[in-house]
Amino acid sequence: MDLDKLQNQLSTLRAETTTAIAGVVTMDELRRLESQTTGKTGALGAWMATIKEFPPEQRGQVGKTLNQAKGELTKLFKDAGEKIKAGAAAAEASKASSYDPTLPGIRPPVGSFHPVTLVQLQVEAVFQRLGFLIETGPEMESEHYNFEALNIPKLHPARDMQDTFWLTNGKLLRTHTSPVQVRAMERHGTPLRVIAPGRCFRYETIDASHENTFHQVEGLMIDRNISIANLIAMMKLLLREVFSQELSIRLRPGYFPFVEPGFEMDMSCLICGGGGCATCKQSGWIEILPCGMVHPNVLRAGNIDPHEFTGFAFGLGLTRLAMMKYGVADIRGLNSGDLRALVPAGRISGTTVAEKPPC
Amino acid sequence: MLISLNWIREFVDLPADLSAEELAERFTLVCAEVEGVEAIEVGASGLICAEILTIESIPGTRDLSAATLNVGSGSVDTMTAAPNLKAGDRVIYAPSGASVKALGTIADSTVADRPSSGMILPGDALGVAMAAREAIFLPPSIEPGTQLDPSSFDDWVVEVDNHSINHRPDLWGHYGIAREFAAIFNTPLKPYPVEPIEHLQDDALPEIPIEIDDADACPRYSAIMMKGVASQPAPLWMQLRLGHVGLRPIDGLVDLTNYIMLELGQPMHAFDGDMIDRIEVGTVTAGTKFTTLDNIERTLPDGALMITSNRRPVALAGIMGGLDTEISDTTQTMLLESANFHPHTIRKCAGFLSHRTDASARFEKSLDPAHTVLAIQRFVCLARNEYKQFKLAGRLSDAYPKPLPEISVMIDPAFVAKFMGHPVTRERITEILTALEFDVTDAGNSMQVRVPSFRATRDIEIEADIIEEVARYVGYNNIEPDYPEVVVRALEPNPQQQIERAALRVMVQGLGMTEVHDYIWYNTEWCNKIGYDPSDCLTLRNPAAAGMERLRQSLLPGLLRAANLNRYNFNEFKLVELGSAFPRTGDEHIERQRIAVVSATRSKTAEDQRLSDLKGAIETWAWQVVSRPVTFAAASPDASRPWEHSAKTAIVRIDGRDVGRISAVPLALRQRIDEHLAAWSMVWAEIDLVSLAGLDEQVSKLPPVPAFPEVDLDFSVLVDANRHYADICEEIARFNDALLRRVSFVDSYEGKSLPAGKRALTFRTRIGDTTRTLEDTHLVHFRQAFQSHIEAAGMELRTG
Repeated sequence: MDLDKLQNQLSTLRAETTTAIAGVVTMDELRRLESQTTGKTGALGAWMATIKEFPPEQRGQVGKTLNQAKGELTKLFKDAGEKIKAGAAAAEASKASSYDPTLPGIRPPVGSFHPVTLVQLQVEAVFQRLGFLIETGPEMESEHYNFEALNIPKLHPARDMQDTFWLTNGKLLRTHTSPVQVRAMERHGTPLRVIAPGRCFRYETIDASHENTFHQVEGLMIDRNISIANLIAMMKLLLREVFSQELSIRLRPGYFPFVEPGFEMDMSCLICGGGGCATCKQSGWIEILPCGMVHPNVLRAGNIDPHEFTGFAFGLGLTRLAMMKYGVADIRGLNSGDLRALVPAGRISGTTVAEKPPC
Repeated sequence: MLISLNWIREFVDLPADLSAEELAERFTLVCAEVEGVEAIEVGASGLICAEILTIESIPGTRDLSAATLNVGSGSVDTMTAAPNLKAGDRVIYAPSGASVKALGTIADSTVADRPSSGMILPGDALGVAMAAREAIFLPPSIEPGTQLDPSSFDDWVVEVDNHSINHRPDLWGHYGIAREFAAIFNTPLKPYPVEPIEHLQDDALPEIPIEIDDADACPRYSAIMMKGVASQPAPLWMQLRLGHVGLRPIDGLVDLTNYIMLELGQPMHAFDGDMIDRIEVGTVTAGTKFTTLDNIERTLPDGALMITSNRRPVALAGIMGGLDTEISDTTQTMLLESANFHPHTIRKCAGFLSHRTDASARFEKSLDPAHTVLAIQRFVCLARNEYKQFKLAGRLSDAYPKPLPEISVMIDPAFVAKFMGHPVTRERITEILTALEFDVTDAGNSMQVRVPSFRATRDIEIEADIIEEVARYVGYNNIEPDYPEVVVRALEPNPQQQIERAALRVMVQGLGMTEVHDYIWYNTEWCNKIGYDPSDCLTLRNPAAAGMERLRQSLLPGLLRAANLNRYNFNEFKLVELGSAFPRTGDEHIERQRIAVVSATRSKTAEDQRLSDLKGAIETWAWQVVSRPVTFAAASPDASRPWEHSAKTAIVRIDGRDVGRISAVPLALRQRIDEHLAAWSMVWAEIDLVSLAGLDEQVSKLPPVPAFPEVDLDFSVLVDANRHYADICEEIARFNDALLRRVSFVDSYEGKSLPAGKRALTFRTRIGDTTRTLEDTHLVHFRQAFQSHIEAAGMELRTG
């Protein structure tokens, strides 16, 4: 082996490689060719291995020549690689120009709460911020908690008003969430701030606006100096948070055996803003929140001394609230299990293009 | 309850500058809810009294009659469609040129080929809607030709919501409403016009003996005998007021008792005085028969309170009089009853008979016993004016064996202000209460408030009741809102409530379920449809409808119904319901909060995949909600629950407790519901939340990331196809090796490439060493050790 011959062969290799690279299209082919040319087992690698066959005085020159050749070849491959990448990038960009970036996505299946649960969670969040505990009570309730403990004794006409579902085991389906008032008093003592959402039952004929099964949330606050002024402030706050707007309210007498005095709280009609419309029967007011100061007999039933503590209680119809918020016209849809009545179509599947409600 | 403002104005001067709507608004804010206000605008002009001289019906017409009338100045002929007219009757007549709003100006005309001069006006044109086509009859004191005051026909009627005055017997009469209006406008309430009591106590006249057997049922019974109340129409103003508040005028005597009932709230009854010489009040035994004056024979319940005379029943106390002793045209003397009855006794009997009358509805409210005599005084006062021949035939009989206890309440003015959260002076408190006829006296720092009898029967008992009176007149809307100051207390949260919220949230927001609600009772028809027998359920005594009496023991039947409903509109859905079920435990049914899911898709072949997905969802759910793993234990299907698959049902087990079940809806049931459901896959799970409530949080620690790489090795274990995963897991869990970090399940495979009757379960082992990088020899040793363990357990590793 001599240096001239090596240089001739290297020239040939350079020329062949240049030709070969010109025919390469993909990066994979290029890498393979590069490996065959400059890699350990490639042509150049093989010559590198023969370096010790040269006389010692020539070895430095041979190594230099080979390294130079390797450098040249590597640059050929690098340049070719850049060219291929640039070509691929240009091709990709060109191809992607037909992509429509405004297309909607494909949605994973998503769940949804019942409308009544949605307003319930909202009301719960408001009261949790105010430090109220959330309590529960049984739907199958005793006469004691549903009536007696709430100052509705056996012969009280309010028991007729309540239109109760009675069970054969002597119990009843609670007619309101108010039984949780006394249960909470017994469980926690004073001072007490608690709400109790839940399902209630009244024996009445079902139509578009009446249900025998509906949801309420009960509220109760007891402390040493709770006043009517406190009740008004808290109820105002509740309505503002639930309806996300400042509302006019008014309080007027209402009668419920478990509060004294009892009130009906009206809010300015959301539809007409107080001017009078069909929804508010032209009064400008919507009856929304029965409430009152807890009757001393109810405090006593919860083992609380009415001389020491006073409190207020309220009941908010969650089913009614859900109907108002979501514009539910027929209450019967809520217990129907029909998803069309419970979930806005846009939430179920398919991205909405346009909504065309029937006129 | 309808209130005539003309009537109210008799007792109180209402501000002239306020409209009826404004008056109603003030009443709503201080007293009770007004549901509506209606103007009665008759627009009468030129109406006169006419006496009927002759009347004959016209043959060939349905209801026309020809009448000759005395109109004072002479006689006229007119045609009329009013029924029940007879010679001598005095009626309201519109001569030609007179007018009312409803009919316009009346002109002479020809009716059925006869000349008709003017018109006898029907009640409904005169603001007495209940009278319809009938004429309004005038009493004999009004002479034919008399001009009728046009203003008495017009009125405003206010409808007060009955529910909001159920606790206020005093507001079931105009005088009580007038009292509130007087207090609202701070003007005097005129004294109630009555006959002085001394006039009723003439010792020279006889007294009817009254014997009350049960003073609790009848605390007071007052009666008086009178003569000269012959049948004649009531005065026009009285008839009009009755008409305005929705009562049809009938006859002077009936109208008079109705009038007093609507004015004072006290019902009265008139007996034929010739047939009664004593009164007893007592109860009868069940099955007693009695014919009431509406000519219906009624079978009375046990304990029904009766008025008897010499033990002969004459009236059903507080509900209705008897037919036998009813006043007739020939009655000479009349016995007027004015009594007080126990509200519940009357309500129970009226309820039993399904015969609620205006009288019984009022007795149910706990009437003031003082009103029995007051109503008689009022009756005599009004009757004297109307009946020329009127005179008392007896003196007042008044049995009052159980006087109403006087109620006196001590109030602390400082507490009143504190309770309201609004300043109020002693003077203002006194002023308000006095206007409402409470009697207030100072008692040191406190005040003693004596409650008037008409508020003392139920309504006012305690200090809070008095505060209500003060506060509503101070004006609820004048009280400045004020946030309470609170004491911080960390109350123990309710574990049931917490698990319910978390359980639902994860199902809906984490796992894509859609929440539905159902009734808590089964629909028996649906139960039949799905072949489920609900007879073991807790039942309602008064279901909403037949077939709605059984309280659910499982949420599944309802969810299946919802699923069957939704499959018309959707190809795929996952429903979740959280609610109460009432399963039997021993001898009783207990309430349990459950969460249940039905996952359905329109595909015959997706059942196993769907079930795997649901099991995975339940596992994820359990980690999120109770931070614990789930296992599925083989269950023998419950044959009474047709929604359980015979082979695919498993028990859901968490923390060693059986908390629920999971399965697929068998084809048999799907076909039974609807043959189209054969093309569906439906799987379900139901979990009891009560057994999961209150579990503590299990914290999963985060150990350091391994310093040396770990390696996954998969092993396929060949087992008998009928051996359960749960068994094999137990065997595998027993394997120990110093390098083993974790074993997890990959999949279960059955297929042609496997020997018959076998399946392959693939497990993934993760191995590593905390001190060095693993080498091939470690892996080989581990593989051998695992294989030996599997083979020792009677299984084999699948190779290749």
